[in-house]
Amino acid sequence: MDRRDYPRFASHFVPRTTTGRRGLLLFLIFFALAEPPVLLLANRIEPFVLGMPFLYTYLLAVYIALIAVLLWIHHRDV
Amino acid sequence: MEPWVIATGLIFLYILVTLVLGFVANRRLTIDLDDFFLYGRKAGFGVLYLTVVATYHSAFAFLGSSGFFYTHGIGFWDAGTWTILVGAFSYVIGTRIWALGKKFGYVTPADLLADFYESEAVRVVVALVSVLFTILYIQVQAQGLGYIISVASGERIPYAVGTFILLVVAATYLAAGGLRAVYWTDVVQGVWMYVAIWVGALVLAFELFGGPFELWRRVAIERPDLLTLPGPKGFFTPGMWFGMMISLCGVLFMPQMMLRYYTAASDRTIRWLGATTPIYLMTLYIPTALIGLGGALVLPDLAIPDQIFPELLFRYAPPWLTGIILAGAVAAAMSTLDSILHANMTVLTRDIYQRYVRPEASPAHYVRVGRFVVLGLLVIGYVLAIQTFEALVVLVSLSGSGALQLAPSVVNVCFPSKLLLTRVGVLAGIGAGLACLFLTLVIKPHPFGVHGAVWSLALNWMVAAAVSRFTKPPSAETVWRIHGEMERFVYGTRRSQESPTD
Repeated sequence: MDRRDYPRFASHFVPRTTTGRRGLLLFLIFFALAEPPVLLLANRIEPFVLGMPFLYTYLLAVYIALIAVLLWIHHRDV
Repeated sequence: MEPWVIATGLIFLYILVTLVLGFVANRRLTIDLDDFFLYGRKAGFGVLYLTVVATYHSAFAFLGSSGFFYTHGIGFWDAGTWTILVGAFSYVIGTRIWALGKKFGYVTPADLLADFYESEAVRVVVALVSVLFTILYIQVQAQGLGYIISVASGERIPYAVGTFILLVVAATYLAAGGLRAVYWTDVVQGVWMYVAIWVGALVLAFELFGGPFELWRRVAIERPDLLTLPGPKGFFTPGMWFGMMISLCGVLFMPQMMLRYYTAASDRTIRWLGATTPIYLMTLYIPTALIGLGGALVLPDLAIPDQIFPELLFRYAPPWLTGIILAGAVAAAMSTLDSILHANMTVLTRDIYQRYVRPEASPAHYVRVGRFVVLGLLVIGYVLAIQTFEALVVLVSLSGSGALQLAPSVVNVCFPSKLLLTRVGVLAGIGAGLACLFLTLVIKPHPFGVHGAVWSLALNWMVAAAVSRFTKPPSAETVWRIHGEMERFVYGTRRSQESPTD
């Protein structure tokens, strides 16, 4: 095959707008909070937060933050 | 009135509602393939949202997730990260699948992949993988339905009869109204299951513990092992919860989900869907955690953990509420079942029959064939549901991660990059991924504590990329046409028009 015949689009895996890059970065940061090694620091019952065990509330907060990022990306029409 | 009469009566009332919706949808049906298979490609946000979430959450969410919390504790809440990921993936991949489907008239996932990779072998393999790994879900959902109706009736309606009734109901409204009937019933089912599971969990929490917060406190005192990782049986190691998250994301590549992207009225509908889907999916695991963890205190020695929710309901909730909630469990299973039946019907009719048996028949003919295919799937589903084959148990364990093997090929179509997969590469990758899945889920489950889905997907991607370096890629014209459309759709440039052959 002759590679010159093929299109050379910039990779679609990396957002091309500043808002897109910020959104992706924020999403990855919050996502990392729900994975090791950070999560292992939150792997505890005490202190209870909002009447629920710490790990449960921690993950709930991370999930809400991730959803907020998705809603923000949608709001900015990325 | 006896409790079982109320519970069973409410389930049958729910069934009647779905049948009425199916026949109303039938009156709106036009004999058109897009209308029968794809809702005319005009699904708005409300309908699409509820059908997507109802399809994601099956009998497993209603019964199985409570059982997971009951057995393994809070670890399942961490694996729940998948609920966020599928929203994000829908946002970025779903919109691209929609755009390509609209532009090139794709109906099935195999249409998309066969067109890009210029290969009928890819079409057949993708169609077979899609059907094989989703038809097993028919069995899982049908078994759930038979079990629920049997429990609700106090075993007066035998399991086999209950399974048959509910399979016939789902197949009837699907055959009558096509995807419109599936979507309309999914709207009812999506709302019903969500309300039912929340109401059931809160009623039980107040009845047994004086409220959810007291429930958490009691679990912390009496079963603290349920509230930290890796759980009482050491199941939720980082490799397992990460793998479960990846495996559950495989649903995204099942035909019933990919078909839904084609049906959206606009790309904005899918973006909004992607951003908000996790709200429903994630918050459904809050009440199931209460049920599972609370149940572990109240009924600690249950032989089958998945039965914890109905067991608690029959012991501690009023009969009318039990009936409403079990109807919600039926809704959860049926909304997934009808979507899988529809997806398999579409794939078999479009990718096999229309392509290789009767390519030039009328739309009415294909709609008739689709209805016969549903009948065939009904028979297969029923036989699978009432029999237990050893090989089948193995296949079911593979099915969750099986559809994930389509991920590299789909991503490569939707995301232009330096890596260009070839048809041989894609087929080799799928083959290697499936073989690896068999090894890492069946022969030696989860090597080094990492879920088989992770191993198989990684190998699939590596093999596909390696083989693609030495084999013939799709033609430049096709890559220009499809990746050019992606470039134009996402970034609004007109470079797709600049084919070097023009």
